[in-house]
Amino acid sequence: MFTRRVFVRGSAIAMAGLGAAPRWLARAASATEGKRKILVAIFQRGAVDGMNVVVPFSEKSYYELRPSIGIPAPGSNTGPIQNAVIDLDGRFGLNPAMQPLKELWDKQLLAIVEAVGSPDPSRSHFDAQDYMESGMPGKASSDGWLNRALPPAGPDASPMRAIAMGAQLPRTLRGDRSAVAVNDARQFQIGNPDAEAIVENMYAGTADAKLARPGKDAFAALKIVQSLGQQNYAPSGGAQYGPGGPLGQSLQQIARLIKADVGVEAAFAEVNGWDHHGNENPQLSNLLRQFSSALTAFCKDMGDRMEDIVVVTMSEFGRTAQENGNAGTDHGHGDVMLALGGPVRGGKIYGQWPGLEKEQLYEGRDLAVTTDFRTVLGELVSTHLGQKDLSHVFPGFEMGQPLGLLRT
Amino acid sequence: MVIRRRLLTVAAAGVTAAALSFLGSAEGRFDQKLPADRQILQALNRLTFGARPGDVEEVRRMGVQKWIQLQLHPDQIPENPALEEKLKPLETLHMAPEEIIKEYPTFPRAVLAARIQPLNALVSGEQMRKIQTGTAEERQSTLMALDPEKRDKVLATIAPPLIENFPELKKEAEEARRMQQQERQKEQRRLNPTLEDLLNPDQAAAARRGNREQLADLFSYLDPEKRELVAGALPPQALAEFPEMRRLGMKRRQPQQVVTADLREGKVYHALYSNRQLEEVLVDFWFNHFNIDEAKNLMNPQASERPLLGSFERDAIRPHVFGHFKDLLLATAQHPAMLYYLDNWESMSPDGVDQMQVGPFATPPPPPGLPIQPQRQAHGLNENYGRELMELHTLGVNGGYTQQDVIAVARCFTGWTIKRPFTDPQFVFADFMHDRGEKTVLGHKIAAGGGEQDGLQVIDILAHHPSTAKFISRELAQRFVADDPPPALVERMAQTFSKTDGDLRAVMETMFSSPEFFSEGAWLAKVKSPLEMVVSAVRAAGGDAIDTSTLAQKIGELGEPLYGKIDPAGYSNNGVGWLNTSGVLGRMNFATALVSGQIPGVRLDSSRWEGQDEAVIVRDILGRDASPETQAAMEKGLEDKQASARLLVGLVISSPDFQRR
Repeated sequence: MFTRRVFVRGSAIAMAGLGAAPRWLARAASATEGKRKILVAIFQRGAVDGMNVVVPFSEKSYYELRPSIGIPAPGSNTGPIQNAVIDLDGRFGLNPAMQPLKELWDKQLLAIVEAVGSPDPSRSHFDAQDYMESGMPGKASSDGWLNRALPPAGPDASPMRAIAMGAQLPRTLRGDRSAVAVNDARQFQIGNPDAEAIVENMYAGTADAKLARPGKDAFAALKIVQSLGQQNYAPSGGAQYGPGGPLGQSLQQIARLIKADVGVEAAFAEVNGWDHHGNENPQLSNLLRQFSSALTAFCKDMGDRMEDIVVVTMSEFGRTAQENGNAGTDHGHGDVMLALGGPVRGGKIYGQWPGLEKEQLYEGRDLAVTTDFRTVLGELVSTHLGQKDLSHVFPGFEMGQPLGLLRT
Repeated sequence: MVIRRRLLTVAAAGVTAAALSFLGSAEGRFDQKLPADRQILQALNRLTFGARPGDVEEVRRMGVQKWIQLQLHPDQIPENPALEEKLKPLETLHMAPEEIIKEYPTFPRAVLAARIQPLNALVSGEQMRKIQTGTAEERQSTLMALDPEKRDKVLATIAPPLIENFPELKKEAEEARRMQQQERQKEQRRLNPTLEDLLNPDQAAAARRGNREQLADLFSYLDPEKRELVAGALPPQALAEFPEMRRLGMKRRQPQQVVTADLREGKVYHALYSNRQLEEVLVDFWFNHFNIDEAKNLMNPQASERPLLGSFERDAIRPHVFGHFKDLLLATAQHPAMLYYLDNWESMSPDGVDQMQVGPFATPPPPPGLPIQPQRQAHGLNENYGRELMELHTLGVNGGYTQQDVIAVARCFTGWTIKRPFTDPQFVFADFMHDRGEKTVLGHKIAAGGGEQDGLQVIDILAHHPSTAKFISRELAQRFVADDPPPALVERMAQTFSKTDGDLRAVMETMFSSPEFFSEGAWLAKVKSPLEMVVSAVRAAGGDAIDTSTLAQKIGELGEPLYGKIDPAGYSNNGVGWLNTSGVLGRMNFATALVSGQIPGVRLDSSRWEGQDEAVIVRDILGRDASPETQAAMEKGLEDKQASARLLVGLVISSPDFQRR
């Protein structure tokens, strides 16, 4: 686990000094590279039940609304097996499956934003994901907030400045700036070099505008990835990505590219399967165990680099405050977001808690939204990525006072 | 292999228009008619999974309109006997769900035998409570009171922290776990012998190397039982040339995975070989429209969508793709796979009673050695199906429904459940689960006191709603015409939909006979999905498959795991999203693997290109000339090299040109 102190970066420079390091590494080790800020966005697709992730255990109504899926309040354990909420501040606590994240909370590296979400009322997975990824709720658009958050590319901007793990480039990263989807590192090992050069030229010359960009980005990225070599990746700090499931695998690939100093500024990973309409708790706890383990492994592996990294998690909407007929929950409204990393003013719960009484609930059934998700992302974009003008990142959105999630 | 080097650019003059069609927006060009030759290719590109050698000539001979009419009436097309032959070994495609559940259980015998008895099968509920959540004294005294044999079993099962503070019990538990481990391994070994247990060292080594002839010899020499055991002991790669043996081996080890494998392989076979190509395109389209993920409920050890999915496609989707939308909708609404996937089988009135052995209250048979599942306490509504039915299946997200409608629809469908989900998965209406109150759905009053009829009424309202006519028409036009189809065409299709009571064949006739379908605006307007790309490559190159498992796997790697889209929206009909950096490289790698014989089970015969011009080969694969840029890149790259036909075919399949249809 990494320390709080500001770290004098040395690993890349030391390696470059050995003389055997490739050119990109020498370039990467320059002073500007060392200060590069990185934002990692994680999307929990399917609408995670925020109220069973960060549990408002001090609210009596929580247990009334959720007689069979409410998670026992802290201290209600009688046996040695942890099945009760992990207390954070006397009001809220983590799902017991998130034990690994408690350490980050205690070190004030993990912040939680409660009752956060979209001003748009949609309970459609598809629309709500689209709005959250575009950063423009209720509007049709074709590009994503994280792409718009990147400054225009300078002459030596890396083709890998924005990376997404998955076979598709997510909406979040679509737009004018180059962005690369990495599904499987093996795709970047080309079998036939002769063919590679010819196909590269085909894409370089094509009049098919929609295919030209991904083609160009693909071959530029290919050269970088090939320069990394094919040796197995060994995570640092004893980090283990295995228990993190598919998200762990994605974060490991992101970690590898960050540590190779290929110029990553923004990264995106997604994790599916949060749509728990029935038999919620066992499934949620399994996913949260992987989720927490993946995040912890990433932090361990990044070590002191976490000083320049912020990870933020989001999901399209929360779920009904009241459990449904099948020990599950239906589509709701307000949810929870996490932010973690060195720059984060952690150990604190942000946002205004709207309460769970019938009249406090949105449409009498869902947690209300008191913080617009763009307020969270906007602060990260302006303070961390240094993009002060948010008017084209979140058009039409007046952010107002930031929550103060980051140290400034 | 000798092919003739002839300047590829000879045909470049006719290509400019095609290249231009990528520039700028397609709007306004939906009124420019395609020349006759391109109409043939357009029809083949959209109604099939890609043209095979000779298809263009066949359509030209028959006439495009007549050929389309034939595709719209697949019962008049004799099916390809090769397809039926290839599907035969994929046994589960021909089985009913209840047979599949029996023959292809979730857990193989070996796993069941090796499973530790759960705590609730060993001790009483009260004892269990004391052991797991009681005080330290309660725990200790309960454990000590058990007879030693049982205590060992219990100690081997419970979580080690529970006895952390009792040194003697801790020691006993460690020993018990060790013994249990040994016994499990012995039993596993008996049921799943290793190659060394089955064969002499020379035979085992030969089998591992996977040499085709040696394996064939070995299999012919072994008796069937032993043959199956050997197949089960070999890694799948070693059996690349023996798909049927691989299947038997998998059936021993992971029986339910065979069910998914059969589905995936079957889908690729259908797409590659069926003469009723439009039907296959439509089955893919409608399955995706009513998408179900095969693995959503895999965590539930006793039931999942998996054994139901083949029947969903075969019995609910396929019979209706040329029929009336309402019948298709009803068939999906009542299929156990859908009832299960979108949770409606458990949705019930909060006042329902639960002593009936039906639906969520049916007692699951406890498989040997598995925890006895407590009966689910299902009381109350589940909105999942009600919402997706309107958002995804009928009206569309902007189709004009509210949260109140979602709740009302969900109430109407309470009681639509599965008879015995674990043994006899059939639709049944369970009166005792139904909410009999009055409901209002999209302004229609549904009177109190109704039963199964309430849901049928909702199906009727939704199937005849103008938003549905428009939404379905737009989805079809997006699949068959362009990502952003011309609104006027969608409007005319919607009118046909409404006039004909949702006759899908009539709606498609409106689309296929429209000027927009054969317009410059629609020409090459669609990027191929991974399924379309992979299948069209094999078809274009005249490939033959004796095994489609690797092709199915490649399609998954390119971003479209078949039957594996987790969310109910399915894959996007909008083609452009498919092509990104990962897709470009992935498709190039697939092309290289395909032409160099690295896709097990797929053979390409390049002899027909012997002595041909390069330009002819390119045209054979693309059905048209390559774009000038693609031609120039090939010219330059191949200038001073001896190019084989295979390399050329691989390049064309990798080209930007081939990614469109």
